[in-house]
Amino acid sequence: MFEEKLKEFEPIFYPKSVAIVGASATSIKAGSLWVWALSSAGFPGLIYPVGSSGGRIANLEIFPNLRLVPGEVDYVIVAIPRQSVLEILDDCVTKHAKAVQFFTAGFSEMDAQQGHKLEEQMLEKARQGNVRIIGPNCIGVYCPEHKIPFLMGILGESGSVGFVSQSGGIATKLVTTGIARHINYSKGVSFGNGIDLDASDFLQYLAADSKTKVIGAYLEGTRDGARLFNTMKEVAKVKPLVVWKGGRTEAGAQAAMSHTGSLASSAAIWSAMLKQAGAIEVHSLEELTDTLLIFQQLNHWQGTSTAIIGGLADGGGGNSVSAGDACMENGLRVPPLSLETKQELSELLGEVGSILRNPVDVSQAQFRGLATLFQAIDLVARDTVIDIVLIQEDMDILLPIYSQKGLEEINEFFIELGSRQNKPIIVILPPGSAEPERLQIEQKLLAASIPVFCSMERAAKAIYKLNQYSCWQEAK
Amino acid sequence: MIKSQNLLNEVESKELLKKAGIPVVEAKLAQSKKEAISISKEMGFPVVLKISSPDVIHKSDSGGVELRLANATQVGKAYNEIISSVKQAYPEAQIEGVSVQPMAPSGVEVIVGMSKDPQFGPVLMFGLGGILVEVLKDVSFRIVPVTARDAREMIREIKGYPILEGYRGQKPASIPALEKLIVKVSQFIEKNPQIKELDLNPIFAYPDKAIAVDARIILE
Repeated sequence: MFEEKLKEFEPIFYPKSVAIVGASATSIKAGSLWVWALSSAGFPGLIYPVGSSGGRIANLEIFPNLRLVPGEVDYVIVAIPRQSVLEILDDCVTKHAKAVQFFTAGFSEMDAQQGHKLEEQMLEKARQGNVRIIGPNCIGVYCPEHKIPFLMGILGESGSVGFVSQSGGIATKLVTTGIARHINYSKGVSFGNGIDLDASDFLQYLAADSKTKVIGAYLEGTRDGARLFNTMKEVAKVKPLVVWKGGRTEAGAQAAMSHTGSLASSAAIWSAMLKQAGAIEVHSLEELTDTLLIFQQLNHWQGTSTAIIGGLADGGGGNSVSAGDACMENGLRVPPLSLETKQELSELLGEVGSILRNPVDVSQAQFRGLATLFQAIDLVARDTVIDIVLIQEDMDILLPIYSQKGLEEINEFFIELGSRQNKPIIVILPPGSAEPERLQIEQKLLAASIPVFCSMERAAKAIYKLNQYSCWQEAK
Repeated sequence: MIKSQNLLNEVESKELLKKAGIPVVEAKLAQSKKEAISISKEMGFPVVLKISSPDVIHKSDSGGVELRLANATQVGKAYNEIISSVKQAYPEAQIEGVSVQPMAPSGVEVIVGMSKDPQFGPVLMFGLGGILVEVLKDVSFRIVPVTARDAREMIREIKGYPILEGYRGQKPASIPALEKLIVKVSQFIEKNPQIKELDLNPIFAYPDKAIAVDARIILE
């Protein structure tokens, strides 16, 4: 599907040469930042800084204008005031550049009339000259595989999550949150005003891209709703598509003469459109990254029968009860364990103190050694009524009882269990007063492909969405 | 009172819908008391009379609706009352007459409607009808074209869905009939881009069928 986009977008995500218009040897300008970012990231292609200052930047010669660049230019990044964008576009056409990204802002987003007119002129020039435009008002492409960082040199590992974002701020947050949580991107793009290439184009590309397994999107609006709807329908058939629509509270329904018209707010229609297209709607950056994380780690999973294991040492109790609530309120099932499992658990842990219902409180294991704890968790994970195992760890309690060494052993066991069990093992690590240790464990688990969430609610929501999508795909 | 030249009256709206295969309780326009009585006799009692005027949007608010009329005398009286109370409420209103239709037995009331979204074009709405739709806003939407699967999902999406299944001994609504009706409305909208808004409100849903009791079409 959309295979034609692969070739068309090759110069955008894998350019052999990039020119940056608006670089300077003497003052710090956005263009200069781009040159530094690309060169320090180890971008494998040629970098051509362009700017009126002349001189050098990052050991590269600055060319006075784009036409004087000696070789071919695939991709142009423009970071100069809007007065000169039409001239630059002429130069891009002359150089046979394939695509140009305008960081330059101050178009239709600021000045509806003049900005819009300028955008129209840009589009006309680009169409005539066979150049594609990304933006204006955007930070453009992110492709760790090809060492294209975001502005300021932000660059994480290469992975399987693709994204499109109307906003550069949200796009950057996605990448930085990804770096912190091991959400690794295949590629992403912030397309700003999207006067030429917009969300639909990039979604089509990501659907065709073999490196991308799951797609996230942050959108505020669209210039072509029908195309976006039809694109999403096609994309969601082949890859999970997680969408956060910003600006939901904007003044909605217009003056209407029907009941239907008065109830049809823009937010309600977006939600309906996403549902109808088979996309997964989320409402915040946290929800978006949580959902991308679980899809990245598990890809496809049906089943919501959850075992909740708490009280690895003391501190089950209310935490377990509220964990059960969080799961059930967010659409998961927390069924009783099988009789066999309960019996084996009670033989292992003794009747007193531990709660062998689900949520399971295994706190009695602390008096019988780690081996017993591991055996107890293993018993629960093996229970055939259970689809998913959620384990609650509380650093503040575990550290004093098991010390750092014990804590590491416990988490190594989770990793080993995860690799041996054919059902998801998910760990909840709520923040507390032992943050450095908690973060260390989180990194360790994430690196071993164990999904980690900082609250039961967030985990439950993400699991529910994974299940919904997997069932929807099946029923298609 | 909202003035609109683009508002089709109930009789015109229902004619269009009927031609498109959407089940409606047929209505005829009576321009005199005598005509109302003869149409009623033709249709069989009981009947319902409603004001027909492009200037009256909320018909029952101005005394423009009379239900359960069991004989010619009641129809005649109702005709006069409707005309005079609407004239009193809206002295400027252009009155075409009164629509006459058989009184449908009560069923589960639902609404199906269409409006146009500036970004996504025509969208269909489904919800429980009557005052519930206005107070609780328990409705679902889908973009046209609406497939059978979309229709199935949008019906099940509303919180009041158990009411459709027949709650506490109430008669259930035929879900397949509602699904079919929604898909038909979607096809009707696709073929008629000149329609700007549409309300089928209420639709009475029965265990074996669903039928629009009132309808309003607004043209671009």
